[in-house]
Amino acid sequence: MTTIERLAERLRDILGPRGVIDNPQDLRTYECDGLTGYRVTPALVVLPTSTHEVAEVVKACRDSKVPYVARGAGTGLSGGALPVEDGVVISLQRMRAILDVDPVDRQATVEPGVTNLAISRAAAPYNLYYAPDPSSQQVCTIGGNVAENSGGAHCLKYGFTTHHVLAVEVVLPDGTQATLGGYSPEVAGPDLRGLVIGSEGTLGIVTRVVVRLLRKPETVRTLLADFPSIEAAGNTVTDIIAAGIVPAAMEIMDRLAIEASEAAVGAGYTIGTPAALVVELDGPEDECAQLFDAVQELCRANSTTKIRVAADDTERAMIWTGRKAAFAAVGRISPNYFVQDGVVPRTRLAEALSRIGAMGAEAKLRVANVFHAGDGNLHPLVLYDESRGEHERAEELSKKIAELCVELGGSLSGEHGIGTDKACSMPVMFGEDDLATMDRLRRGFDPDGLCNPGKVLPTPRLCGEKPGPYRPHPLEAAGVIERL
Amino acid sequence: MSSKGSEASHGVDTAQVARPRDLREARDVMVDAARAGHRVLLRGSGTAQTWGAPVREVDLVVDTTGLDQIIAYNPADMTVAVGAGIRLQDLQSKLDRQRVSLDAARVAEGATVGGLLATADGGPIRATYGTLRDLVIGVIVILADGTVARSGGHVIKNVAGYDLAKLFSGSLGAFGLVAEVVLRVHPLPETSGTLAIPCDAPTAFRLASELLASPLEPVAIEWHAGRLLARFEGTQLGVANRLGKAQDLVQASPGFASASVERLTENDESAAWDAVAADVRGTEGDTVLRAGTRPREFPALVTRLDELSRQHDVDVRVVSSLGIGVHTVRIHGGQADQHAAVVDTWRSGVVQGGGSVTMHRRIAGLDDLIPSWGPAPQALSVLRSLKDGFDPDGRLAPGRFAPWW
Repeated sequence: MTTIERLAERLRDILGPRGVIDNPQDLRTYECDGLTGYRVTPALVVLPTSTHEVAEVVKACRDSKVPYVARGAGTGLSGGALPVEDGVVISLQRMRAILDVDPVDRQATVEPGVTNLAISRAAAPYNLYYAPDPSSQQVCTIGGNVAENSGGAHCLKYGFTTHHVLAVEVVLPDGTQATLGGYSPEVAGPDLRGLVIGSEGTLGIVTRVVVRLLRKPETVRTLLADFPSIEAAGNTVTDIIAAGIVPAAMEIMDRLAIEASEAAVGAGYTIGTPAALVVELDGPEDECAQLFDAVQELCRANSTTKIRVAADDTERAMIWTGRKAAFAAVGRISPNYFVQDGVVPRTRLAEALSRIGAMGAEAKLRVANVFHAGDGNLHPLVLYDESRGEHERAEELSKKIAELCVELGGSLSGEHGIGTDKACSMPVMFGEDDLATMDRLRRGFDPDGLCNPGKVLPTPRLCGEKPGPYRPHPLEAAGVIERL
Repeated sequence: MSSKGSEASHGVDTAQVARPRDLREARDVMVDAARAGHRVLLRGSGTAQTWGAPVREVDLVVDTTGLDQIIAYNPADMTVAVGAGIRLQDLQSKLDRQRVSLDAARVAEGATVGGLLATADGGPIRATYGTLRDLVIGVIVILADGTVARSGGHVIKNVAGYDLAKLFSGSLGAFGLVAEVVLRVHPLPETSGTLAIPCDAPTAFRLASELLASPLEPVAIEWHAGRLLARFEGTQLGVANRLGKAQDLVQASPGFASASVERLTENDESAAWDAVAADVRGTEGDTVLRAGTRPREFPALVTRLDELSRQHDVDVRVVSSLGIGVHTVRIHGGQADQHAAVVDTWRSGVVQGGGSVTMHRRIAGLDDLIPSWGPAPQALSVLRSLKDGFDPDGRLAPGRFAPWW
């Protein structure tokens, strides 16, 4: 009997036959997350239904020295839920109960498989909502949001998952359970809850989440403004911030992104305009109206060519549909594409975009740009055609764009995470001592290295012996293996 | 710098003091201390040296107040990078119509940015902006062995790598030295105004719930000295309108005697919030605790404290951020045994209910009667394991978390 067969037997004892998947065809469903370029078929997939079962599974894996990877909806874009070969995937899809919505304390307690949007739906009868709203909120799970410290379009004003999660119950890599954080943000000692949020599933498995809920704002005002250049749109954003206004969201799309979005959903963006800026304000009604006028004035001062103000919720939803559709929509104008997720200091946006443009021209590839303009989080979409052998060139360009962001004083990732995708780029952003310290932290939780190994930090296996800017493995250079 | 007398940590007064002026000097100090096997106390302005358990004997005090540079201020990016030893009030005065959104009581005493992170301290606007854990976007720390490590960066949105700042938030100097900090700043609001509502604790909680259920967006809702204080920030027009609407809402609340609701602005408003800060700080001879609980437990906690206050004949004042269940309890007057009885009983109740309690200040002699920390948290094994990884010889702030480790 192999180690995996023995482990499978023990897992069936814990979870019953329906809780363990080991037939090759079904296992393939779990071979990748939203970053489909990386695929690994796991040895087993388990579907626990309680914290106790998760803990027993982790103990079994630990005893067998078999690595494991937690998985929510699998919508992540950095390969954070990529299975480990000969490892176990722990799917949290059967733990999807909303355990409590408390309108007095304005908190909800949920299991990790609950979707982001389901929390806001459950809170809606009390005029409350859960603020972080990643684009995938209809399907992505709160457990995945905790792993990635997810943001969304409104995080400029409202912050990220870490600002809205009060407590997490985790199964630690030693198989014990602990609640980190509490029902108040005031908790004695170091902030372990904050360490686990954004740790990409490498420090333990979250089995329960307490989130805080916010009162819905009295009013929301949204506009879509066209500009003669990306610079003019960017300057408007600078002026809005200089005026002391913190909009709920500010998004910019370029000509190519608009063209793609219009082809897909026809939300009424102006085809041919070099830049479109979406600004959304929310808050108490009279104050919001006052500031909304000021924003329009600033748009005009920066030579806007057209302002469309959402007259009602339907029109606002339409504007957002146009923005949120942009990713998938580039499929309409290109057979394949990569989504990038770098961050630059906001004041260097124009420089970043012009260099991305030049890099695209040099690589003979088109790049569409969609970005969260308030915080400098870029989502360049690198368009390519696999059938014309452009894949490698496109991947290289995408990687160079992320590393350019670091060079400009920013970050490899604003919200998608490092995962498998960018682990080998980490040495571009952090020094050896930084990474060694992060590894020290990781080992404090997971001394055996079984909890989602190979993610976040570069490993010799993944990146070559010496951590450093990515160099192809000798076998890869010789064409014996492929990076994917 | 450290205070003499009852509140001084044992042995700290006789230790050598190093005051590095830049990151390199700070690293050298930590490397030398590691080589010599010195036990080290990290200190900013020294406004929170009584937090947690008393530090046992140390050989070296590292005073961070020489690390007081503003390294980079980018108002258009809403970020500022500083040496961790800069006093927050000094930093605030250098920002252009922006602020670090933290109003902890100790700021007025000269608390440093690094100290405010290491204590995870916050004031009334914490309800909206959180503590420095929520505002720090990057750190450079120096570990016990002298390793200089960085996490985060200079951009307000960033998920690359583990966030070391979280480990240092609330660490009370036991995990390493915070050397540099990058902060997110917010626009300074045009104006503010506060509604003061005299009432008892259960009424305060009910009114706070109504205000929080309204779309009026109070930035802070605090219970203090028999009054509910609701603060609003924003534009002139917005604050005036919201104060008016909040007053209408309170006065329309059933069973509420409305005559004495006051709108505080300018000097009156500052005075009300200064009084809150004074009780949060306490004075020598007081015992001060900070607790976190479910928000809804507030009325019962106050009732319990009133009982204990009468039973043990001490004066007990409570400052509470009602929306988020953060309470500061000041025990004044009486002797150590009376304080010990109140702390022990009340703390057990809070911890049993899933809350937590940190001691900020103590009357002389309290440590002989009760431990500084209540029951250990569930994740103690992880905390110990991290402490072993970051400070294997236990040289940093020895005793600070006793009896947990």
